[in-house]
Amino acid sequence: MSIEVRNLVKKFGDKSIIDNISFKVNDGEVLAIVGFSGSGKSTVLKLICGLIPHDEGQILTSSGDIAMVFQYSALFDSLNVFDNISFALHERKDLRKKYSEENIKDIVAKKLDLVGLKGIENKFPSELSGGMQKRVSFARAIVTNPNTILYDEPTAGLDPMSSTLIEDYIVRLKNEINAASIVVTHQMSTILRTADRVIMLYDGKIVFEGTPTDLLKQDTPYTKQFVTASLEGPMQMKA
Amino acid sequence: MATFVQYLKKSTTYKIYKTLSQEFVNLTSFLGQIIQIALHMLKCIFKNGIQIKELIVQSERFGISSLPITLSIVGMTSIIVSSQVANEMVKQGGADFIGLLMTILIVREVGSVMSGFALTSMIGSSLASEIATMRVTEQVDAIDVLGVDSVGHLFVPRVLSGIIMMPAVVLIASFIGVILGGITSNAFSGLSYRAYFTSVWRGLYMKDLFISVLKGAVFGGSIALISCTCGYFAKGGAKGVGLATTRAVVWSFISIVIWDMIFAVLFFF
Repeated sequence: MSIEVRNLVKKFGDKSIIDNISFKVNDGEVLAIVGFSGSGKSTVLKLICGLIPHDEGQILTSSGDIAMVFQYSALFDSLNVFDNISFALHERKDLRKKYSEENIKDIVAKKLDLVGLKGIENKFPSELSGGMQKRVSFARAIVTNPNTILYDEPTAGLDPMSSTLIEDYIVRLKNEINAASIVVTHQMSTILRTADRVIMLYDGKIVFEGTPTDLLKQDTPYTKQFVTASLEGPMQMKA
Repeated sequence: MATFVQYLKKSTTYKIYKTLSQEFVNLTSFLGQIIQIALHMLKCIFKNGIQIKELIVQSERFGISSLPITLSIVGMTSIIVSSQVANEMVKQGGADFIGLLMTILIVREVGSVMSGFALTSMIGSSLASEIATMRVTEQVDAIDVLGVDSVGHLFVPRVLSGIIMMPAVVLIASFIGVILGGITSNAFSGLSYRAYFTSVWRGLYMKDLFISVLKGAVFGGSIALISCTCGYFAKGGAKGVGLATTRAVVWSFISIVIWDMIFAVLFFF
């Protein structure tokens, strides 16, 4: 078990944004959380990595770091690529003692190599394309060798080729570091190319759980509406 | 009865009451945030120490880069005051007291308060907008997810640089203010430099200098803490950044006046 969520509830005021959901992700597995905008997908990720506290339920993780790749990369724009990736190694007391400056240079070079971006250490985020920024944020996320990686809409705003590249890196990272991964997305290509399992959220509840193939079968009104992107069905878009 | 309540709710008095009570709630909540952050900062200092490299960077920003504007504002205020005071004092036969008066005025009030205002508009607004932008672009969240305490990383060097650098800025600005007061008195009222600076020595008390330094540290810490807090709790996009910056400047100005009043009551009553 790498991460398990049990009966998770998050309320904003009286309204339950996440309403009693449970799921489990094993090491080396990718779980895609899908659903229309406002269904609570990103909130689940923020709850798991502790950015917002949950009201009820449990989040159980194996010891080790949880990393997150943000929707718009969230690179530190005042720092260059090297400083972005090495940020945790320089700033965290436990890691600062562990690595020398030479070690850190090697680690950053290896992580950049892993995401196919050799030799851009001195560039600033503003000098990189959207796809490159996303890959740098992958490198930054995995610098501490996390055992859980959370991706918040990793292919949002990217062209189809960059999306494919990012999807390939998600699978590659899963295989290379054997991390449990959760991908929040509503892009079918990302689900089909990366996910081992899929859960669909609507109104804070899980309305479907299965494999990407099960999703494509459109056996339930929810999966049918999602796959056909129809406005008709049980899920109503919020204004 | 219902009609009367509805009428009351539409009245201007009720609207003023609603606005004031909302402002009071906002103020209380903001004070709570400030105290919460200040305590968290102390915890970070004891737990993780101080990042010297970042402290130097922020000190350069707070002290060196702000100096030209601060000196200009304090210097010009000194010229304005002395050009008006010197003439009157000479007419009333109090030429011997011009230096003394200017020194007391600048060291006790003008140097620290005007420097505070200058640093609020220059550094406070920049701190608030920088951190607010980081908040709305999820950079602050990224710091936390990477296992680094965002309050410790963002607040400690900035607030400490304010506490360390502002007293130096106040002392330099006060020194320039007193010198410019002498030059202006000489130019406008023909007062000799010897008479002015002899009088300056009589008005220069160690207690005033000490309080001026203390005020500088308190003002600097307040400006940095308030500005960073406003930025840290920013919400929304570009509008949120703008609102955070406005709040930072307004509350920093208000805090300077309140602290100045507290110092006046504590030390000069």
